[in-house]
Amino acid sequence: MNPDERRYTCEETFRRLEDYVDRELSAEEMERVREHLKTCEGCAHEFHFHEQTLQSLRNRLQRIAMPPALLSRITQAIRQE
Amino acid sequence: MQNRHTQVDTEAFEALLLPVLPKAYGTAYHLTHSRDDAEDLVQEASLQAYRAFHTFQPGTNFKAWFFKILINLFRNHCRKRKREPEIAPLDDAPDLYLYSQTAQTGLHKDHDNPAELVLEQMTEAQIRRAITALPNEYQIVCILYFINELAYQEIADMVGVPVGTVRSRLHRGRKLLQKSLWHVANEETPLSNLKLSYEGTPA
Repeated sequence: MNPDERRYTCEETFRRLEDYVDRELSAEEMERVREHLKTCEGCAHEFHFHEQTLQSLRNRLQRIAMPPALLSRITQAIRQE
Repeated sequence: MQNRHTQVDTEAFEALLLPVLPKAYGTAYHLTHSRDDAEDLVQEASLQAYRAFHTFQPGTNFKAWFFKILINLFRNHCRKRKREPEIAPLDDAPDLYLYSQTAQTGLHKDHDNPAELVLEQMTEAQIRRAITALPNEYQIVCILYFINELAYQEIADMVGVPVGTVRSRLHRGRKLLQKSLWHVANEETPLSNLKLSYEGTPA
């Protein structure tokens, strides 16, 4: 196959944005998206921002600590079954 | 109830359960929006899992098995309470919603990570309000995704839907969440003021 035929357009790349960020594409698709991002500054910027947004959300939502007493409450309840 | 478990069963169960409890609590908290309800949900799921432990196949994914129980319990609670989103349902949002909004507000010029800037100035209550604007099934998938960093297939196993459904709910849910966060973040302090205050100009 001609290398140009394998190259994704911006639209084809953008369609794969979420699956790419979540590593849900096949190895071949991941590579083709990576290749596009190397040469397209606009898409690379959008992908970078999307990744950043998801990571920031993850950091914000994961900031909830389990109360230490819950662990003993649960193990006690299990042992009383 | 008569105890059907040996001490070995109980120890084996706890060895699998205890490492997944912190993420289970985080998930339960964002689903119920209450620390007390989250504790009750996690404890109830733990006891239900313990009673059903004889049905768990050793060597398979305990976390997925346990979270499936937790999600089903949460759904039952919602049905009993007839819980609906607390604020008006959102219309669909365009792709990269936060990207375009923060760009329009001028936050891209001076900040490496405008999304973080928006999220960090939000209170826990605001984040909670933004999540509750999503339909329940979208909340479940998004929270599992953000709290647990799971593959789509794992989420599908926990929620009991095909992987394609997880993909589409996540795709739409993440867009809705970005829109909701932006709206809630702007309610009290318009984010254009945030930009000005960062530049040292009175907002």
